Amino acid sequence: MKTAKRALGFTLAMLFLAGMALAQTDPGVQSGNRGTGAAFSSILSNSPSGILSFFTDGQKRFQDVESVSNSPSGNNGLGPRFNSNSCSSCHAQPAVGGTGAAMNPQFSFTSNGTAPKDTTPYFITATGPTLEARFPFFFNSNGTVNYNAPNGGVENLFTVSGRSDAGTCSLPQPSFNTAGNEGNIIFRIPTPVFGAGLIENLDDSTLLNNQLNNFNNNVGVGGAFNRNGNDGTITRFGWKAQNKSLHIFAGEAYNVEMGISNELFPQDRPLPGEDQLQTGLPSNCLNLSGTGYPEDTSNPASTPNSAVLDDVSAFANFMRFLAPPPTGGVVLNGQQVSSSTISAGSSLFSSIGCSVCHNPTPGTTQVSNFTSSLSKAPVNAFSDIEVHHMGTGLADNVSQGNAGGDQFRTAPLWGLGQRIFLLHDGRTTNLITAIDDHEGNGSEANTVESNFDNLTPTQQQEILDFLRSL
Amino acid sequence: MHSRWLYCSLALVWWVVSPAHGQNVKAQTPSRNGGDFSDNVQPGNKVPTGVILVKGAWASASDSVTPLPEGGNVTNSVFTNQYFGMSYALPANWAEKYKGPPPSDSGRYVLTQITPAATFKGPARGTILITAQDLFFTPLPASNAVELAGYSKDHLQADYKVEMPPTPTRIADRSFTFFAYWSPAAQLHWYVLTTDIRCHAVEIVLTSRDTKLLESLTLDLNKMKLPAEASATGGTGGDGVPVCIKNYARDENLLTRVDPIFTEHRFNPVPVRIIIDTEGKIKHIHFLSAFPDQEKIVTDALKQWRFKPYRQGGQAVEVETGLRFGSGGYRMPLAAATAPTD
Repeated sequence: MKTAKRALGFTLAMLFLAGMALAQTDPGVQSGNRGTGAAFSSILSNSPSGILSFFTDGQKRFQDVESVSNSPSGNNGLGPRFNSNSCSSCHAQPAVGGTGAAMNPQFSFTSNGTAPKDTTPYFITATGPTLEARFPFFFNSNGTVNYNAPNGGVENLFTVSGRSDAGTCSLPQPSFNTAGNEGNIIFRIPTPVFGAGLIENLDDSTLLNNQLNNFNNNVGVGGAFNRNGNDGTITRFGWKAQNKSLHIFAGEAYNVEMGISNELFPQDRPLPGEDQLQTGLPSNCLNLSGTGYPEDTSNPASTPNSAVLDDVSAFANFMRFLAPPPTGGVVLNGQQVSSSTISAGSSLFSSIGCSVCHNPTPGTTQVSNFTSSLSKAPVNAFSDIEVHHMGTGLADNVSQGNAGGDQFRTAPLWGLGQRIFLLHDGRTTNLITAIDDHEGNGSEANTVESNFDNLTPTQQQEILDFLRSL
Repeated sequence: MHSRWLYCSLALVWWVVSPAHGQNVKAQTPSRNGGDFSDNVQPGNKVPTGVILVKGAWASASDSVTPLPEGGNVTNSVFTNQYFGMSYALPANWAEKYKGPPPSDSGRYVLTQITPAATFKGPARGTILITAQDLFFTPLPASNAVELAGYSKDHLQADYKVEMPPTPTRIADRSFTFFAYWSPAAQLHWYVLTTDIRCHAVEIVLTSRDTKLLESLTLDLNKMKLPAEASATGGTGGDGVPVCIKNYARDENLLTRVDPIFTEHRFNPVPVRIIIDTEGKIKHIHFLSAFPDQEKIVTDALKQWRFKPYRQGGQAVEVETGLRFGSGGYRMPLAAATAPTD
């Protein structure tokens, strides 16, 4: 009897250990310095002459902290509504230009004087994702959700109310608590912009060729491009690929996320409801910087050359000249993962169909008039830049351009190894959960996800290791 | 006392008549309800989860009676699709876990995807994917299932090796093309069975690491019920359905044509499948992908179209064909698709 018990215990222990060996683990955020955040080699070589100063100037301005009216360095125009006060406060991980950091700066805004009269929204936490919020639908005049009135615009989290540099302007925050209780709220995390200049410099015909090359897949993937409503060309930046260029991307973010009017978006931005329902911003919340509009302009009398640019152009140059994130080694449970494992994971990633959408190289760039590193360069973005139906599990009921509520741009995976928060709303930090969440009713990714499930645990681990090498 | 009353009255008058003041008060203290504001939580009014309420370009049809390619479903472990005349009893312990996406603007359909249920027992899992490619809208140089299978084999990506080149076979008493390949890295095998049914190439894709499972699933497909094989009078869809003719809406077949003019959404392809009745009128419109404003404009235009009735063996018969409006679709290959599927 004693022997039988011992045998049973041994068997159970072996089963437990076998289970541990088979369990797949997300290696997690890789901490080593991979050199992410540097400029392209031709920029670092200052080729053409003078261009390096445009990168460094843009990089500095990207980190400037904006005030409403009394900044001694002239960084004025914040608000009256905003999500943050600096580009780099959101685009921070693992370097300036990235995505949200481990510590969310938005959590401190109500206590550090940035938004003294506001309440920290319930979904903003100290160690959670840096977020913007949107209400899919407007509210009726009785406060119920109006399903006939899609909203989808950004609901700024904070206001300048009570700041010493904001005069008498006092604004209410949107009704985040009610929206949360009614399920009428969705979130987005910042997209990293490393290598964005390469994506910008992909010709439409290259993207169309890549689409055709991936059409004949046996994994049920379709896909479409989002397109500019004015000229019909392919748009490519943002979670729904709704923006065409880095200039527009920067100009819109400066206006929407920080409330700073600029040459591309020349007015202060009310909330979607204040704008659509014809109330606008109150007059004592306009022109708070005292400079007139737009608050960000080019500076004709400034020197050196880079200082002549407006902030938006400087931001665009910084993003455009940022090199893509280098790949790097992976540490799993304290052990270095072998290069052969990473290589095997790469092959598996492609074999099971992930690369139909997360295309390792959708093409090479057109000739660039900026710098040689942007010319005829492979774009190893792991994205086809198309929007795909992602089903009910990921749908956010927000339409942008031609993309509907369930369509998202294939998120470029370069730099994934050092991202903390995953998927469009940062709902998870676990790569396995992020992969699982690709399946759902109406998702184009269901068969690929099923192929992932058809792999052995060892093979699945190889894919996870490979993804954290990016 | 008197002066205090006068002061208060003047202040009240100033408050009422001052437009700037009134505007500020209104703007700074907006209603707590409406737009971005609400303090009215209504438990029954929650935004439903698991539903896509805000859609982009989507599929729709002019009537709810005519069967649609995407209209199949799994009920009581049987997949049925009225448009394709298909019925397939799922293998034991297999189920449709999730519905597929809407049709693509290039005419690709995920009809169903079947995976092992939790009760499945076997050395390796697998996947059964049934898709259809509308041959009116494919960007590939293929006009039937055989050509599509050949294209697949010739354009197989470097990750895969051919196990069996496209080979004629019969499944459920119908002609199929069988094509097999595998991934040495993933040790996964793909068995692809393709056949022509009613203007489409229908593909059944079986995937697993376990080839015995794949063989068993292939044999099991013989239990499927499929429409009769193409005949001289029945086109590829079998008897009782319209004749499929690609590019039928040519000038020589059209008596009246009114072009739709898009005003709001303009830069997306709008593939439309129509059925023309024996008098030359359009009796059914199926939008594979369109925005609501485009649906209305196309419908209003197509109501006015008149075709010469199509005759086969001296009899007027219904025709099914495809039209493509809008712009911005797939880049078409240099070698265009050849013959119609008639």
